[in-house]
Order: sequence, then C-alpha cells, then structure tokens
Amino acid sequence: MIKTDVIIIGGGSTGCGVARDLALRGIPHCLIEKGDFAAGATGACHGLLHSGGRYAVNDPEAAAECLSENMILRKIAVKCVEQTGGLFVRLPGDSKRFRDMFLKSCEETGISTEVLSPSRALDLVPNLNPSLEEAIKVPDCSIDPFRLCMLNITSSRRRGGEILTHNKVIDIIREHGRCVGVKVQEESTAEVREIRGKIIINAAGAWGNKIASMAGSGVPMTLSKGSLIITNHRLTNMVINRLRPSSDGDIIVPNEAVCLAGTTSITVNNPDESEVDPVEVDIIATQARQMLPDFGSTRLIRTYAGVRPLLKADGGDDRKISRGFKIIDHKNGMFSIMGGKLTTYRLMAEKISDRVMEALDLKTKCQTAELPLEGQEELSGYPLSKRLKTLENIVCECELVTADDVERVAREIGTRRIEDIQHRTRLGMGPCQGGFCTYRALGIMQETGKMAPEESMQVLREFLQRRFNGIKPALWGDQLREEQLVESIYLGILGMEQKQ
Amino acid sequence: MSGTYEVVIIGGGMSGMMAAITLADMGRTVAVVSRGDPVCCLSTGCIDVLAAGNDPLKGISSLPDNHPYHLVGEDAIKTSLEMFKAVMSEEGGAYVGDAHVNRKILTPLGKHKVTCLVPGTMEFADFDSDEYIHVISFNKMKDFYPNYITSNYKNAGCSIFDAGISTTIGIAERLENRQFLKKFILWLKGLEIPEGRIAIPAVLGMHFAVDVCNEISVELGRKVFEIPTLPPSMPGLRLFGGLRNALLKRGVNLYWGKEIYSVEKSGSQIEAVTLAGAGRSTSVQGNAFILATGSFVSGGLHASMDTARETVFNLPVYLPGKRKSWFNDDFFTPGHAIEKSGICVDQSFRPVDTQTENLFVCGSILAFSEVMKYSCGHGMAIATGVAAANVCGELV
Repeated sequence: MIKTDVIIIGGGSTGCGVARDLALRGIPHCLIEKGDFAAGATGACHGLLHSGGRYAVNDPEAAAECLSENMILRKIAVKCVEQTGGLFVRLPGDSKRFRDMFLKSCEETGISTEVLSPSRALDLVPNLNPSLEEAIKVPDCSIDPFRLCMLNITSSRRRGGEILTHNKVIDIIREHGRCVGVKVQEESTAEVREIRGKIIINAAGAWGNKIASMAGSGVPMTLSKGSLIITNHRLTNMVINRLRPSSDGDIIVPNEAVCLAGTTSITVNNPDESEVDPVEVDIIATQARQMLPDFGSTRLIRTYAGVRPLLKADGGDDRKISRGFKIIDHKNGMFSIMGGKLTTYRLMAEKISDRVMEALDLKTKCQTAELPLEGQEELSGYPLSKRLKTLENIVCECELVTADDVERVAREIGTRRIEDIQHRTRLGMGPCQGGFCTYRALGIMQETGKMAPEESMQVLREFLQRRFNGIKPALWGDQLREEQLVESIYLGILGMEQKQ
Repeated sequence: MSGTYEVVIIGGGMSGMMAAITLADMGRTVAVVSRGDPVCCLSTGCIDVLAAGNDPLKGISSLPDNHPYHLVGEDAIKTSLEMFKAVMSEEGGAYVGDAHVNRKILTPLGKHKVTCLVPGTMEFADFDSDEYIHVISFNKMKDFYPNYITSNYKNAGCSIFDAGISTTIGIAERLENRQFLKKFILWLKGLEIPEGRIAIPAVLGMHFAVDVCNEISVELGRKVFEIPTLPPSMPGLRLFGGLRNALLKRGVNLYWGKEIYSVEKSGSQIEAVTLAGAGRSTSVQGNAFILATGSFVSGGLHASMDTARETVFNLPVYLPGKRKSWFNDDFFTPGHAIEKSGICVDQSFRPVDTQTENLFVCGSILAFSEVMKYSCGHGMAIATGVAAANVCGELV
C-alpha cells in the first residue's frame, strides 16, 4: 500500500501539471495513469498553443486565459514550444463582418494582431493560397504535448512524487462517505494495489465521469471527438487558421517535421472512441487544401482522433461550448476538474492545487508560472539539431533513431510497450509509420531480455493492427504504395497472417 | 539514345523482363523502359504461384473467372515457369521446385511462407521437416532476430557471428570475399553443430549465392539454406540481377531510370514514348508497346482520394467503389478490395474500352490479379508477361 496526501488520477497535461504544482508546494502526491502520459486528449490534439484568437469572438474569457498562459508557457517551457506565430487567413467568400468582429474582439482581449496584405502573407508562408484576401497575424505557437507532460513529471519525480503509469483505477475506497484512497491495477501483471490519500483529484479528462461515478458522484460533461490528419512534410512554418467561425478543418499546425491538420467535432458517448471516418479525412483535407493548396498533393501518413472532455452544454453545437474549465468539489474528499484546453493546463493545475491547499489548510503559493520546467537543460530545442551527427545502427530511418536509443529507453523505463519507446524516441513517427522499425525495436527489446519473443510477437500484431486503423482512413497516393510494401513484408515475407 | 524497336516494354519488373526475354528469343528487337529498379528487388526472390492447396496449378481453376491467370491457362503457365527456371539457371542463379508443388519455407519469425519455385539457396528451407535447424545470425544485424525462430519453431538453436558490419548488403559483400568466407566457414566448423540443417539469413553473397551456399554445405557436410529477409533483400536483388543480365545478353536495350513524360499517338496506334533526361529528351519508338508498370506499389497505378489512374497512358482503371470499401478492417487478412484495381484486358491482353490496337498489358497492373490475396505475385507476372509477349510477338 502507498500512503500519500493527494492522489491525482490522470496523466494528461492537467494531471501532470497538478503533480508539478503540488511538488513545488511540497505536497506529497501520487499520480495514476492507466496508459502512458498524454494518452488521451492531450496527445491526440493538434499541438497548438493558442493565442486565444480562435475563441476571441465567441468565448472571450477562454481567449484571455489562453493568451496569458501562452505568454507564460513560452517562457517556462522553452523546449516544448516553437514560436511559430500564426495566421488567420481570409479566403474569397469568407465573411468580412466576422473579420471585423475578430479584430475588435482580439483588441478587447489584448491579443496582438497585425493585418497583412496577401503579398505580405505570402512572404511569410509562400505556399498559402495566392487568392487569399488577407491574413491576420497572431501569437500562436506549436507545442509538444508529450514532452510537456514528461517535463512536468520531472519536477514531481525530483521531489519524491510517486508516478504510476500503466495503472488503472478500478475502485475508489470510501470510508464513512469520504474518499480515502483508490485501488489500482497494473496493466500487464494485473496486480492490484491500494493507495491511500487525503484528497483525490479527478483529472481523468474524457474518463472523468467514469472516475466520479466510482465515488458515487457524476460530472456533467459532453464528449466531443475531434479527428486530425498528419502530413509527411512540414508544409508551413506558421500555424494557419481559417478566418471564419469555428468549423471543421480550420487549422494547420507545424510540428517537428510534419504538419497536423484538423479538426472535426462529433459528439460521442464513449471516451475510448478513436475511429476516424474516411469522410472526416476528406473534409479536413479538402478544407486544408483551400488554405494551403499543396495539401492536395501531399502525402498523408496517418489519422488520429481524440475525445475532448467539454463542459456540459444543453444540446446544440459542441463548438459553441465554452473552452473554459470548471472545478467540482464533490464534498467527499474528491475534486474533479473539467473542460479546459492544453494551452490552459497550467492555470487549471494552479486553481485546483489552490483548492487542495485550502482543504489541507496550508498556505504555500503556486510557483509554476515563474519557474521554468526542470529537465529542459538536457533537451535539444527543435530536435532537428540532434539529428546532425553521425549515427550508427539506425533502426528507424525516417526519424533517425538508433539501436542504442531503443535499448537505452527500454532499460531506463523498464517498459514492455512499443508505444512507450515511440513516445520517447520518435521511433515509427515518420513516413513508414513504424512499418520497418517496429519489428526491429521489438527484436532489440527481446534481446535485452525485456520481453519474451512470444510476447513481442503479440505486441507486434497489436501494433500493426493499430497502425493500420490509423492509416486506413487516409490511404491513397504515395502512402498506399508504402502500405502495399509494408503489407507484403509482414504478410508476404514474414508470414504473419497465420494466427498465433 | 533515341531508337526504334519492334516492341517497347514499359516497366522493368518481373513481368516486363520476362516479356522482353520472350520477344528477344522470338527474334524481335526490344527495348525496356523503366523508372528505376523494380519492386521484385524487395521481394523474397521466391516465385509464389498460388498459395492455396498443394498444387498451385490445380488451384487456378478455382480462382474467380476474371482472374488474369485464366487468360494464360494451366499449360502455358507451366511452360512460362519452366522458361523462367531455364533463364535463371543460365545466369548462375538456378531455381528449384516444381510448378505443381507448393512448398513451405521458414521465415525470419519462425513461421512459414507458402511458395513454389525457390532460389537454390532455399532448397532445404522446408518448414514441415522435423530435422533440427541451427540458425546462424550476425552481430547487430538489424533485420534479423534469431530468437523469433528459436522460440516459434519447434526444433532450433542459434549462434551469432560477428561480421564487423550490421547491414544485409554489407555482410553479403563480405561473404563474396574468399578469405572472409574461409574465416566464416572455419568459425562454423568450430561450432561443432551436432546434427540437422544450418539456416543463415539471406546474405550469402551478392550474385552467386548458390555457389557460396554449396561451398559451406560441402565443407560442413550439412544442408545449408537461406532465410529470406526484409528489404533490401539479397534474393530479390539476385533475381533482378539475373534477369537483367539475361536481357543484356539478348541485346535488349534498357532505358533505365527514365520517366515517361509524353506519349505520341496516331489514330489507334501508339507510336512513341518520350523520356525525360538531363539536357535532352529521348524518343523511343515502337511498332507495339507492352505495359508492365505494376500496381500501386510500383507506381503503375496512382490513387487519389476516391479515384485511381494509370500513370503512363491514362488507360481506364477498374476501381472497387469508394475509398471506404477499399480496405478490410483486419490488417492480417490478405487481400484488400483495392487489390482488384487495374486494367481490364481482352483475351489478347489488350486494354478494353480504348481505341489503341498496339498496346498489351501484363503483370500486377491487370485488374482482378489480387496478388496478396492469392499470393501469386511473381507467378502471375511471369505467366502474363510471357503470354502477352507471345501474342504481341505474333502480331508485329
């Protein structure tokens, strides 16, 4: 049994942010995550650090939060944020009235804007649709959500925070009507453990209602699936938004060597819903092509979807729901934090940690806005720089990951999961989407004694199926060529179509 | 480099090369135009004819009526496979196997692959035998993990040799060096493997692997065989190298590494294709043309969101519905509907619904070939390549 003060459920940006916040305030805590960090909406978003522009017109409060957090994160999370800047692009037919409202709202919120003529905009992003009417420059950035979570966790770990990934909360222990702990189950060993604490924070995002219901409560939320597509190239160095009311396919974000384009918004019931419909891909790709015509000929390497945990709305369009957040005190030792955005994760963590301090009758102030994230010293900035050196025994040719990298991470975190290796090395994130390197990485993992060959075969099967699910909705053009090759390798050369 | 030929073949893969050999042997002047080295370089080098059943030729009658194998017929398929074996034998890369017999060979995962004709180096790769297999691997070789075989296969052990290099091609080059090979054989002898067969990933030399394999076998007094590996695949490269040599010997002109950027037509006749090149373009004229550019993976077909086109002549392409119906949900069920895509042809391999009279089509670009589903890739390429060439050669 583990004893602690605060139990945090959820290893997304909010949960990781709370762990850091409490660590800096000297509060013992334990974070429980059923998968790896950023496995839910955090890792499945478009990696945009909002300037607030997108919400300025309809949700000025959320916009103001985004803006101030944007300014904080670009200071404290230098190695996670790429200061790309963003454009809101107005194309022929897009409402001039909305443009005027946009500028006025941005001014009221304090978001700096610069109106650019088409030729000025084309100077900044040469492959923009040349028939654009104008573009408005805003301080959007791109952010690496996974790295952000890891760095928040570093602060916690350095101060004795207990971090349990791949552990699922299966029950909340209540005594005399109060939540006093949780039962967790380890994913691969199925071992069940008890963790006792004074306060439980439910930061489970889309799974928040499931957690709250274990404690006999509920949280009012609307689940909204958003799908995105990944291109093989970095088509723009700036974030590109469509200057019109929020709708499907209105954003393109550069991230490392690729671009992410999204998103759709479909109400769902199941937080595990992750299937992307080919129709969603068509919508996003078609819309993205209107802003960046090169999108029509570029290769799409994968699709993915996340489920947004939005505050409950009374019917209507998910897009009209505020992107603000809310803290619910269940009055039984559990707090839930709902809604919000990746951009505002730190503020959400601060607010809920304040409530924890109040409940524990302690006074230490939040320091997360001033202190830079720890552990950034060791990281290169934009990781292309790390690639400019001699590499030996490359196993992932797309992302230049070596056998040593895989071995090191496998030993360091003692993982048996290929996704854990992928998150920490970028293995399999390139054009072949792990078609070649996963087999190699698993071969290396079993040689280090981390997993038996039979287990690694099973992992390989599961990976290939998951990979195919992600690729299938956007499978045409050069990616279809790649896919036929990968298929011939695993089914034709290796003989994997035979059942275990 | 412009030229005029009786037949111009577009596509330098299995089908195109077999068509070229057939036509050259008929005494025709032939050119092959290829965008680059073909997809067969990435293959296992094995000739899959049809995976279902013990006798692949017998199985052909149970294929759907529109399968291109039916255009060739059982006897002609058999003859073309014999012809392929004869050609490869002449080039020092002899194949073994009987067109009437499927065999199961060992894969790098310790599973099996069903195929028909195999390179001589895989003669003893029989999966169903109970004989012990001793697997030889190479230190840090990135595409071969012998533990998969020793754990999945019923009766196998393993030893690891340090070749001082970890890539497939690097090791293959070294094993063609006499002294290195001697050192390797000496090491193998030192293992004192008590019984059974010796399995080595397919790195036994760049060109004359059968000789290397035999030498090891004689020195050790044991059966030795290669296990096909991931691309770059030595058996695939040797297969391509062998056929390419056969073309050159027959005086076939090769236009390699060239993209076609325009086609000249006059009425119902294709007259020439123009190739892009550094400085000036090249016109290759022919009395007849054979299209053997392969399916999507080879670039003969190109799909966009909901359509597909043929990339050289813009021929009409059969496509199985909208994108949502192109793929199975399960990755491990071979044969997605998209594999049915391709060019529909008449009995003489001429594309239907076009006005062209001197164009013939063969290989995996043919509609309904479904090479993954039936595991018939190279067999189909050889059979239709030879058959289309025979029809074309009679006419020009």
